[in-house]
Amino acid sequence: MDEFQEILQDFLVESFELVEKLDEDLVELESNPEDLELLNGIFRVAHTVKGASSFLNFDVLTHLTHHMEDVLNKARHGDLILTPDIMDVVLESIDLMKELLNVIRDTSADAGVDVAACVARLDKVSGGTGEVETPAPAAAPEPVVEAAPVAPEPEEEEPDYDNMDPDEIEAEIERLLNQRQDEDKAKRAAKIAAGESVPEAPPAPSEEPTPEPKKETAPPPPPPPPPPPVAPKPVTPKAAEPKAAAPAKKTPAVVEQTIRVDVKRLDHLMNLIGELVLAKNRLIKINDDVEERYEGEEFLEELNQVVSIVSLVTTDLQIAVMKTRMLPIGKVFNKFPRMIRDLSRELNKDIELVISGEETELDKSIVEEIGDPLVHIIRNSCDHGVETPDIRTAAGKDAKGTIDLKAYNEGNQIVIQIDDDGKGLDTDMLKNKSLEKGIITEKEADNMSDKEAFGLIFKPGFSTAAAVTSVSGRGVGMDVVKTNIEQLNGMIDIESTVGVGTSIKLKIPLTLAIIQALLVGVQEEYYAIPLASVLETVRISKDEIYTVEGKSVMRLRDEVLSLVHIGDIFEVERILDGSEHAYVVVLGLGTSKIGLIVDTLVGQEEIVIKSLGDYLKGIEGIAGATIRGDGGVTLIVDVVALMQMAKNVKATALVESASSQAGASREKTKASDYTIMIVDDSKTDRIIMRKALEPMGVTLVEASDGQEALNTLKAGDHNFDAMLIDIEMPRMDGYTLAGEIKKYNKYKNLPLIAVTSRTGKSDRMRGVESGMVEYITKPYSADYLASVVQRNVNFKSEFL
Amino acid sequence: MSDKLKQIIDKQGAQQADTGLDQSDDIVQLVGFIIGDEEYAVPILAIQEIIKPFSWTRVPQVPPYVLGVFNLRGAVIPLIDLRAKFGLQAKKQSDETRFIVMRHGDDVAGFVIDRLTMAIRIKKENIGAAPDTMNSEDSVIDGVGKQADKIITLLKVNKLLERDF
Repeated sequence: MDEFQEILQDFLVESFELVEKLDEDLVELESNPEDLELLNGIFRVAHTVKGASSFLNFDVLTHLTHHMEDVLNKARHGDLILTPDIMDVVLESIDLMKELLNVIRDTSADAGVDVAACVARLDKVSGGTGEVETPAPAAAPEPVVEAAPVAPEPEEEEPDYDNMDPDEIEAEIERLLNQRQDEDKAKRAAKIAAGESVPEAPPAPSEEPTPEPKKETAPPPPPPPPPPPVAPKPVTPKAAEPKAAAPAKKTPAVVEQTIRVDVKRLDHLMNLIGELVLAKNRLIKINDDVEERYEGEEFLEELNQVVSIVSLVTTDLQIAVMKTRMLPIGKVFNKFPRMIRDLSRELNKDIELVISGEETELDKSIVEEIGDPLVHIIRNSCDHGVETPDIRTAAGKDAKGTIDLKAYNEGNQIVIQIDDDGKGLDTDMLKNKSLEKGIITEKEADNMSDKEAFGLIFKPGFSTAAAVTSVSGRGVGMDVVKTNIEQLNGMIDIESTVGVGTSIKLKIPLTLAIIQALLVGVQEEYYAIPLASVLETVRISKDEIYTVEGKSVMRLRDEVLSLVHIGDIFEVERILDGSEHAYVVVLGLGTSKIGLIVDTLVGQEEIVIKSLGDYLKGIEGIAGATIRGDGGVTLIVDVVALMQMAKNVKATALVESASSQAGASREKTKASDYTIMIVDDSKTDRIIMRKALEPMGVTLVEASDGQEALNTLKAGDHNFDAMLIDIEMPRMDGYTLAGEIKKYNKYKNLPLIAVTSRTGKSDRMRGVESGMVEYITKPYSADYLASVVQRNVNFKSEFL
Repeated sequence: MSDKLKQIIDKQGAQQADTGLDQSDDIVQLVGFIIGDEEYAVPILAIQEIIKPFSWTRVPQVPPYVLGVFNLRGAVIPLIDLRAKFGLQAKKQSDETRFIVMRHGDDVAGFVIDRLTMAIRIKKENIGAAPDTMNSEDSVIDGVGKQADKIITLLKVNKLLERDF
């Protein structure tokens, strides 16, 4: 049954391509019911599928397409006006047809799908005009005018199978099979003539629906009976192509010359280019070394030339191969007109979808991933964004809502923009909703910028729809969008004005395999950060790092940026820590931002992403590895995971050492921002000190011995500006306490003030040795104590 | 190194073909190596190559016995320190230290060993099961090979290559 399998394969490829185009055409048809050309095209798709399926004995599919054909034929002849209701039935039948084709692909048979209900509806539609349908003549006079090459299509002499007796059908099938085989043979002959090897068809098409790379739509010497216009595989991303899929469309005079190529071969090619890029990087490095060593030598110039040519050609080659993997995003956009149509009927809204830039090209793997997020965003725009016609009219807008879907290139990225002119996002409403659902705290809500508030719609569990509809409102969709886009190293940007509309921008890198990366160093290690996620880099001095609630932050222009040290994420042992300065790499992903502290910035490099393999896969924060010019392996940072991990990292030791200085110099806005610990075993003495300091308005914390004081300090609940310490205490005395405290780097600059009745010189010396800065002897006046404390904590005079 | 190995394997394959099937059935070929004070062995066919040590890159969030990854002609391969894995004290790498790259199916990893000993041909009947105390599904020990003057611990390559963290 090899011939059968081969034919089946061809049939499936052809049918899927036809059906894909069909959706788009049908929606267009609804807005232009008069377009006979379009109608003819659609009719012919149904007809082609019917013809082919009937001689492959797919009775259910034949049955269904037959009835579709009836309806369409009536419409074609003007006996039936395609109202939206009729379209619903037709579209439903097309869905069924797709389902059947999938079943056939998987099982080589078309059982298991019930078409009876749909057929009955189709019949009702076609019967509704009063005419009794006569299938045979409906099909037979199918004119094949414009499409000459379609001539040998098997269905051109479509007999009325319904009225044939079984023998006749057998004979007919036999004849058609033979005809098809002859065609295939001719095709293969032509291919051999064209110097191409003819791979064997895989024996089981059920497993591999995509054809192996053997099809040539228009080989240089055209085969005697030109094959049915098999639309070229997506590998040739020309906008004009899809038209060829519908046989009724005018076949362009010059057919695009294309070859179907197995994606695996392209992947392999891409891998090889990856190796080449690595070798190139290495060559450049060696060239630099040689240049340094043999400065002024003549051969250097020659070497330089060769290196630059190799590097240039490699880059071009890489771009060229990348292009072969590119698909127009139109492949994804195509399904949206139908979706919008269905949605607007379901939601009783009037929505127009304007698509532009569908010829923009993206890597195949990205095109495959981008579909789902877009579906969610567009559904969301339809459901939550665009208002119902009466609300729109009341608001003085056009009753018809518009959703603009466009794609364009921007630098190394593709931007997909979805604009609607709906009601826009109301930040207050978003915040309230999130508060209600416990997604954010009140404090977070208050500090939120508009952009951050818009970002709330991507939080899991968030939904602004008052009622859950079948379209959206379950609070799942947008969360998925964010995850998917982030997986592609993309970014999401939302802009919205209440009452005017919302604009969502998805920025996605062109390709996934070879990326630009920023190389950073921490201690002796290097890491590569995908450049697409890097917003900027800044050099800061360490005292610009503040600690807020145990997290490091810095001020970046008018924003507060949370910081995390790359060493804390990747458990880097920090031995050398000399520099007063650090570099902060500002990472942006979707709507969130974070600053990554690194020791050095090495530079930008083109890197090839390699997997770490099964043994090490799934390491949090690592997206893979790459091989550098020197042959070493450098790990690639997974920015998505890093942002997650950063949430659980406390302020680092490095930052902490700066934070006490920072703590002291930090803006104090009121007197109670100053926190002072009183350590004394005598309650009376504590009360005296409290009384002395209370008038200043500072916050006071008490501890009754050294051990308790140390524990309070370590707990980190307070950020102490100074400590008043008694020397003689049970459990741990003042000297020991001071010594313990000074062991911690981060408390190096915390002023410790001894308050004691010991007045001996040696006692004072011991105090200085253990790290006390002041030595107050009891008894003292309240004013004196206050002034010493004020001096040591740089108490601002305006608070007095 | 891998070429050499291949040659040897080919040669031995040819020999086996000559001598007939029954002999090849009871002979197991192993490569022996030392970790700490013990001699271990793995089947020669599980070894992709044996290389001299070179630099590797540390990987975070892994147990201490996973040293990191290294570049083996363009492939990024994990490097596992068998000393650490077997709970022995770390030791400085010497001239005799080697990386043995083992393969099982698609899984590949490099293992740091102290010293290679030799290729061993051993009769199947001389391989005994591992002592009951350590003879479980999860054990990396496959069995014990008895030689004239010593015994060798046979390791399961698939277990060594299995991620256990």
